[in-house]
Amino acid sequence: MADLSKNDEAVAAALDVPVQRGEPILQVRNLQKHFPLTQGILFKKQVGAVKAVDGVSFDLYQGETLGIVGESGCGKSTVAKLLMNLERATAGEVFYKGQDITKLSGRALKAVRRNIQMVFQDPYTSLNPRMTVGDIIGETFDIHPEVAPKGDRRRKVQELLDVVGLNPEYINRYPHQFSGGQRQRIGIARGLALNPEIIICDEPVSALDVSVQAQVINLMEKLQDEFNLSYIFIAHDLSIVRHISDRVGVMYLGKLAEIGTDEEIYEHPTHPYTQALLSAVPVPDPTARANRDRIILTGDVPSPANPPSGCRFRTRCWKAQDKCSTEQPVLAIPERFRGQDTLAAHESACHFAEERDVVHAG
Amino acid sequence: MLLEVRDLHVEFHTRDGVAKAVNGVNYSVEAGETLAVLGESGSGKSVTAQAVMGILDMPPGKIPKGEILFKGQDLLKLKEEERRKVRGAKMAMIFQDALSSLNPVLSVGEQLGEMFIVHKGMSKKDARAKAVELMDRVRIPAARERVGQYPHQFSGGMRQRIMIAMALALEPELIIADEPTTALDVTVQAQVMDLLAELQREYNMGLILITHDLGVVADVADKIAVMYAGRIVEQAPVHEIYKAPAHPYTRGLLDSIPRLDQKGQELYAIKGLPPNLLAIPPGCAFNPRCPMAQDVCRTDVPPLYEVTESPVPRASACHFWKECLHG
Repeated sequence: MADLSKNDEAVAAALDVPVQRGEPILQVRNLQKHFPLTQGILFKKQVGAVKAVDGVSFDLYQGETLGIVGESGCGKSTVAKLLMNLERATAGEVFYKGQDITKLSGRALKAVRRNIQMVFQDPYTSLNPRMTVGDIIGETFDIHPEVAPKGDRRRKVQELLDVVGLNPEYINRYPHQFSGGQRQRIGIARGLALNPEIIICDEPVSALDVSVQAQVINLMEKLQDEFNLSYIFIAHDLSIVRHISDRVGVMYLGKLAEIGTDEEIYEHPTHPYTQALLSAVPVPDPTARANRDRIILTGDVPSPANPPSGCRFRTRCWKAQDKCSTEQPVLAIPERFRGQDTLAAHESACHFAEERDVVHAG
Repeated sequence: MLLEVRDLHVEFHTRDGVAKAVNGVNYSVEAGETLAVLGESGSGKSVTAQAVMGILDMPPGKIPKGEILFKGQDLLKLKEEERRKVRGAKMAMIFQDALSSLNPVLSVGEQLGEMFIVHKGMSKKDARAKAVELMDRVRIPAARERVGQYPHQFSGGMRQRIMIAMALALEPELIIADEPTTALDVTVQAQVMDLLAELQREYNMGLILITHDLGVVADVADKIAVMYAGRIVEQAPVHEIYKAPAHPYTRGLLDSIPRLDQKGQELYAIKGLPPNLLAIPPGCAFNPRCPMAQDVCRTDVPPLYEVTESPVPRASACHFWKECLHG
C-alpha cells in the first residue's frame, strides 16, 4: 500500500495535478432547476415540477478538471446549461469571481460568458452547415469584438485551427467536409477563441469512434496545460472521466451522491450508487470477468417529477432501511470516516456509507 | 457448424462510385457460442450482419461473391419466400435503437403476437397469451397489465427487453445483436447483457454480438473478430487477443481506451482517420495509420495469416504479425 501511494505521487507529479488549490474559480451553491409541468391549454395550471437539478453544490479550481458522471436524466446536462446561464436557475447561486452568474443579464452576462465557454456533444448538429469554418469560429469575435480587431480575425482563426491540429488552409471549408473527430476539433477551437478560463464540455467525445476519442482527449489535455484552463467534463463514460479528471462528482436524480478526487471515487467509493455504477462498467480484460465484484441494480431510475422521499437512491439500493425513506442524507464526509487519514473520508450522501472496492478484481 | 460466412463481399453502388463495404469476410458460429464482431463505424460489421439476416437493401447493395451457410445450406441461393421462413424462425436480430425499431402505433402485445400469427398461424387470443409469456421470460414486471401498452410507455431498458423477447419468440438457433446496449446507461446495460447471456445458455443459441465496445466484448464473448475497412484483420479467442494482440490495429484500439481501474498517462492515439470506402488504400487498408507499416504494406494486401492452430484457430491479416505479437 505504501508503495502504491508513492507511485501515485509520482504519477500526480508527472501529470502536473494541482496539489495546492487556492481560491476556487467557480463556486456553485445549492443550485436548483425545476421545470414546471402544466395542465390545460388556455388556463395553464402548474400541476408539478420536474426537479432536474435539485440542490447541487461544488467548487471548481483553477487549472483542474472536474468530471461529472451519471446516467441519462440525472441532470448533468442541465447543470452545464445553468453554469452558462443558458437556463435560468430556479434557486441557488453560481459565483464566478465573486459575481453570481444566475442573477446577471445583458452586458454583464455577456462579459462573463467570454470567460466560460462550452463544447457540445454532437459535432454534427452543433456547427451550422451553411457557414464556413472561418465564419463559425470568427463569429465569436463579432459578438466579442474587443478580443480581436477586425483586420486580425482571419489570422486569429487560422491560428486556432493550427492549435487544435487542423490545417489552417481549411478555413473556407464547410462542416460536412470534415469527419466527426475533426468537427469536434472545430467545436473546441470555437470554445477556445475568446481565451476563456473555464470550458464546460458536455459529452465531448461520446459521439466519436474509439480510435478518434483518444486523439480528442489528448488534445484537450494538451490545451489545458497550455492555456491553464479549468474544465467541467460531463460524460457517462466512467473510464474516460477517470482518465481526464482531477476530481469527480457522481450525480443521481438531480443531486450529487458523492464527490472527491478521482482516486477517492474510483478506488474508495462509499456511496452504494457509485459502487453499482462502477461495478457495471465492462472492463476490457477477460480475466477480470470471473472475479470482479458485480452489483446489478434492479429497476430503472425513478421519475424526477416524483422522486422518492428521503434518499433518492433507496428504491434501487440493497442497503436501504427505514431511515433512508424518512431522512434525506446530506452530502458530507460520513461521520465514521471524519478526521481519519483515509481516502474514504470524502463527501458522500449516504446514511450507511461504507468503503468497497469494486473496480479491481478480487 | 451453425453458421458459416465464406468470402462474403458486399458493395453499394452510389452516385460517387462503388463503396466496398465488405471485402471477403469469413467467420463461423457454433450453437451456444458467442462471437463478437468488433469495429468502428464504417468497418462493415453491421452490413455483414444484414447480409446474413437477408435484410440488406438491394439495390443499392449488392452481394457479388460469397456464401452464407446456415447449417450447411447456402442462404444466398434461397428464394425470398424460403428465406423469409428462416428469418425470425431460425435466426433473429436485435437492433441498437429499440425506440425506432418498434412500431409506435401498435401495442407491444400486438407486435410480439404478430410473430405467432404470421409464422405459426395462431389466433389473436393465443398470440396475446404468448406475448405475455414472453414478456415474463425477459423479466418485464407486471407483464399482464403492460401487454397492451405502447413502446413510448416503456423505459429504454424495458424496450430493449421487448426487442429481445421479439427475437426469442420463435426460439431461433442464432441471434444477431447489433450494438444491443449502446443506447443504454451502464447499470441498465449490465442488466440487459446478463439477461441475454442467460437466455443464450438456456436455449443453447449461437450469438453474434456486434459492438465497438471492447469492454462489453471482454465480458461476454468466446471469440472475437476485429473488422477494419470491410475485412477481418484479426480473429482470436477472447483471452488471447487481450493478452497479446497480433494486429497493430487491435493493439492500437486496446491502448487507446482509458482504463477504469488505473489512472494512465497520455493515451495512445491511432493517428489519422478510418478510410473512405470509395477509395480504400492499396495494400493493407490500415497502412496509412499503422506505426509498423513498411513498403510491402503499401503494395500487397496481407492474407489472413494463421497465428496458432487448435483448439480455436487464431489469425491476423498483418505482414508483420509476429513482430506485433511479440513486440
